Parts: sequence; structure tokens; C-alpha cells
Amino acid sequence: MNGRIVRALLKKDFALFMSNRFYLLITVVAVVFYVGIYFILPSDVDEKLSLAMYAPTLPPAFSQLTTQDAAEIELFESEEELKQAVLDSDYQAAIALPADIMEVWAAGGKPQITVYYSAMAPPEISAAIVALVKELAYMQTGQALNFDTTEEVLGPDMLGDQIALRDRMRPLLAIFILLIEILTLASLIMVEIEQGTARALLVTSMRVSDLFIAKGILGVGLALGQAAFFMALVGGFSHQPLIILTTLIIGSLMVVGIGFLVASFSRDVMSVTGWGMLILILLAIPGFGTVIPGLLSDWTKVIPSYYLTDTVSRVANYGAGWGDIGTNLAILAGFTALVFWAGVVVLRRRYQ
Amino acid sequence: MNLKRVGTLIKNEILHGPKDVVLVMAVVMPILLALFVNLAFGDIFTDRAKLGVFDEGQSQLVGVLESAESVTLKSYDNEADLRAATASGSVDMGIVLPDDFDATLETGTIRLKAYVWGESLAKNRAVIPVVLTDAVREITGAELPVDIETVALGDESSLPWSDRLLPLTVLMAVFFGGMMLPASSIINEKQRRTLEALHITPATVGDIFIAKGIIGAVLATFMGVLTLAISTSFGGSPLALILVLALGAIMAAEIGLIAGAFIKDMNTLFAIWKFGGLLLFGPAIVFMFPQIPSWVGYIFPTFYVIKPVVDLSVSGLSFGSVAVYVGILAAIIVVMGLVIVNITRRLNTRALKLS
Repeated sequence: MNGRIVRALLKKDFALFMSNRFYLLITVVAVVFYVGIYFILPSDVDEKLSLAMYAPTLPPAFSQLTTQDAAEIELFESEEELKQAVLDSDYQAAIALPADIMEVWAAGGKPQITVYYSAMAPPEISAAIVALVKELAYMQTGQALNFDTTEEVLGPDMLGDQIALRDRMRPLLAIFILLIEILTLASLIMVEIEQGTARALLVTSMRVSDLFIAKGILGVGLALGQAAFFMALVGGFSHQPLIILTTLIIGSLMVVGIGFLVASFSRDVMSVTGWGMLILILLAIPGFGTVIPGLLSDWTKVIPSYYLTDTVSRVANYGAGWGDIGTNLAILAGFTALVFWAGVVVLRRRYQ
Repeated sequence: MNLKRVGTLIKNEILHGPKDVVLVMAVVMPILLALFVNLAFGDIFTDRAKLGVFDEGQSQLVGVLESAESVTLKSYDNEADLRAATASGSVDMGIVLPDDFDATLETGTIRLKAYVWGESLAKNRAVIPVVLTDAVREITGAELPVDIETVALGDESSLPWSDRLLPLTVLMAVFFGGMMLPASSIINEKQRRTLEALHITPATVGDIFIAKGIIGAVLATFMGVLTLAISTSFGGSPLALILVLALGAIMAAEIGLIAGAFIKDMNTLFAIWKFGGLLLFGPAIVFMFPQIPSWVGYIFPTFYVIKPVVDLSVSGLSFGSVAVYVGILAAIIVVMGLVIVNITRRLNTRALKLS
């Protein structure tokens, strides 16, 4: 490797990158956009059942509800205030108990309970509240059922310590930033091929290995720089920063390898955009599984980026250590080595 | 028109035509938009608790739970699958109903094994047992000691946003590919002067237009169907829905052919797409905001595509209820077809060349 030549190539490529306003713009805008998205998303999880209640007389079974961890009950002074709270979208549902509820039950009658719900609320809300009121009524009238259950909590019990949507999104956003660089790198290479500068370079004293080293450094620098910057801003390095950084470095190398491949089998810059977008979407799919657990099945494990997003997610959100994600990193590194090698081989042919 | 020549042109267009950003956007954009709408506004982010069941016997409970509105029920064939689904977060809670479950209910006891997903929300963990007991009460026929009245407050006519955005996603799927593909293909031919080469073959301008129109219409129909599949919005008349989508795709292809005949370069095409998009997607905006008077929608030709699509898919109406709109749509297609015939008669390959 000739350091002087590699430096010169890097300087040229960086100038080329800066001169392409489109890629420069999407690079800057994307990072700002992703950071913005992160901070706009909710920072906590509303995991309690939020309910308004008007109860001139509060039966003991219903008063138990106010002490439940799973429910957040606000008592209102009048039924009109209660209805207004639902109309104002402060609550999606509300319960109004009659003043004589205990007397009616004592007399063997059926009191009438009103469940108010917002017309905008999904139907499951009112259905759940109605089921809850029924069960409380049964309990109040001494008809509670006995439960003989064995219960097992699978995975870490996150009750009261749920992962906020923004933190679930963090791995997806970081990986998306990395993947976008497939397009940038492949386009830069394609411009060189189309303009003939690649062939011109090869008639100088520069060796092909210098060219690939320069391209690799540029690609890794662009991808890793942005992803690491994003993760630093959104607190992604707060736990096991070395694992996160290692994962992002391997991910950046994978992006460079794929960028080489896309550039080698594309006809022109338009074609790079087309193929690059398809590959980007495919590789982004596993990220959605970290946002919505249970959404994707095991088939996503055949997509190599799964091991990238899963590692970042498990480390940043669940506090995993080297031992937990070792297999992931090994698979990711293996695929990266393969794709990088393939990218270099086919792109070398394209250059020559 | 010569069918053999049109077939050859279609084959040539598919195999050797431009696979550029327009094609990618025509395929990718509608899928992304449909996925986004479903992710953001659909069932995926719903508050509904998800309950998994493995029934070792033939409990009536499963049937009752299937009709419960407050939970989404998923059945599993064995306990291992149920456990795996719970561990992955596919369900909030997984319950194993023993084969004597119904028999033990007579003793007033609910006996079961439950797996709880560690990341399940507190409210879901609270709602599921309540729904379970409610279902058990229904089986045992317990008399409800209370009368419950449910009252909806506010505007009851509101549609969920996933349904309001359906017209936009469908129009985007049908019209981007259907219109842009033939238009960009003709413009590409004009810019590369390949139409001059075609001039020395027996193919006429009409054959070329028909070939490009068919490709656009087929892709647009496929993308429209795919979008509805992603949105799981086929309603009760899927064949009628596909027919309407196909007619919409033909309309889109016709607009694309007219645009391709008169526009000289891709930049102008994209500029017109940006402006014309307002005219094409006008009805989608009307559907999004019920405050806009519904008569506004009737002005736009694409209304006669999207109205039957929404009626068939979201409202679940029959084909008979939308026949008038489909008839108007067919009439628009015929009129536009006559316009294209007129254009192709006036044009020859020389006229299609860049000036």
C-alpha cells in the first residue's frame, strides 16, 4: 500500500462526494432527520389503563381498582365533567356509577352503570372496560372466580421498565444510516466508471489495491462516522460502547462490500439507485422486528443485517454483553468478509 | 393494430427497456407507503392485547374468545409454538387450556397454564384475565348483576386513519406506475432517438403506444392489488375490486401515453407529475378530511376509481352499489382512448422526434 497515493485518492473521492449536492444533501439531512425522529418519538411507555370514573358511592370492588398498578383512575365530581374529559380526549373511556348502586344491589336489583367512550377510540377500549365493569360487579356481588394457574414470565420482566418506542427505533435508525451509504459509495464508484476516471487512474503508478483501500476507507468513514455520531447523540453508547462501536465497524465494512457489488453490476447511476434501494429495503426489514417485537418470524435471520440490528438492539436496549452477542458478531463478520471479498473481486473486473 | 407486433414490442420493452429509477419507484414507493400506513395507523400498533391459546381439548372458551373485541386471539397447535410465540412477543400472554378445562369450570375454578411475555404492558396483563373471566362467565351462563349502557361521545362517523389513507396508497400504487412508466418510456425513446429505428420496421405509432400502455396498466393493476393485500382490504367482492383497479390502471396508462406524446424530457415529466399529482390525488384528500364537502371529489376523474375501491374494500358494498361509478370510469377510459387514437393518427415517428 502506498500511503501517499491512498491519501490522494481519498482527497479526490471526498471532493467528488462534496461536489455531488444530492448525496451531500441527503447525507446531512438524513442524520438531522433521524436525530429529529428519535427525539420526537415518545420517551416513555404508557403501560397503564387510563380511566376516568364518576362514583358518588364507590363500591369496595371498584375502589380496589384505584389501587391497582395496572390502572390509573381519576375520580370526577360530576358526570358532566366526566363526559367532558372524554370529549376533550383526556380519556378514551370513562365509567359512571349510580349514586344508589349499593342499595340496588342490596335489594337484589341490577344497577345501571354507564360506560362512556370516545367515538374516535378503537372498539377494543370500550369492550375491555365493559368486561372490566362486569367482572368488578361479579366480585362485588360475591361471585368471584377462583384461578388455579401456573404462570411463567418469558424473557426479562420489563413491567414498569418498558423500552420506549424511541429506543426501540434506535437500532433501526442507526442501521438505516449505515445502509444509505451503500447508495453513496456505489454512486461515487459508478460516476468514476462512467466518466472513465477509474481507467485513467489505473494507468498511473497507483495499484488496484490502493484504489480499493481508499474506497474502503471512504465508505467505512462515511458510514461509521454518521452512525456513530447518531448513536452518540441519542445515547446509544451509554451501555457497552465498545460492542456497539465494533458492531458498527463491521456493519460499515459490510456496507462497503455491498456498495462494491452494487457498483459492479449496475449500468449507470440510475441503475445504482434502483438496485441500491431494493437492497437497502431488504436489509432494513430486520430493523422493523426490533421496533415491533413478534412482527417478523424466524425467516428474517437469513437476512444478514438481522445480526447487525439484533446486536445493537440487545446491547443498547437490553444490556447484553460480549457473551450474549458473540454468535451474532461471528456470523456478521463472516458474511462481511465474504461480501467484501466478492465486492472487491467483481469490481476489480469492472475497473479493468 | 397488429397483435403479433404489439407482443414483440411488449417482450422487447420488458427484456430490454429501461430499468431505471421510475420503474424502481413505481414498484417500491407504493409498497413502502402501504407498509408505512399499516405500521403507523394499522393494527400493528393497536392497543389491543394479544392472547395466544393452545387448547389440549375442545374447550368452548376458544370460540367465545374469538368473538371478544378487546383481545386478538391466535391459536397454536402445540405448547412449544405457543411458548415460542410468547417469548418473541407475538402474543402478550399464551395460555394452555387443559383437556378438562370446561369440566373444572363447573367448580368455579379456572385452571390453566399461562406464559407471559416479559415486555407485555401492565394494562394488557390486566385486560387479558378480565376477558378470560368474561368468556368463562358466558360459557357458564352466569347472570350479570348489573346493566351496562355504553355511550359513544363525539363524532361517530370518524374513520380510522388507516382507512382514510387507503385511497392515497391505492392511487399512488396505480397511478405512479401506470402513468409514469409509459410516459417515461416514450420520452426515453424520443431522447435516445430509438423511435427512428422503429420507423423502418412495420410497427406503427399505435402499436408502440399500445405495447407501452399494456405494460403500464399491468404493472399498475398488480401494484394496486399488492397494496390492497398489504392493507388487507379486499372486502367481500375481490373480483369486482380487481376489475376496478384494472380500469383505474388503464386510465393511468392512458394519461401516461398522452403525457409521453407531448412531453420532451424527464425533467418536464417530473415537474408535471408534481403539479398534476394534485389533480390525480385530489379525491384522496377529500377522503382524508371528511370536513371537505364530498361533492368536491366528483370533479376529479380519479374519484371514479377510488370511490368504488373504497366502497368495495372499506365499506364492504357489493358491485351493484358501485356500478354507476364504474360505468362513468369506463366512459372516461373510452373518451381518453379516442383521444389517444386521434393523437397516434396525427403523429408519426418523425413528429415524435425531439425538435
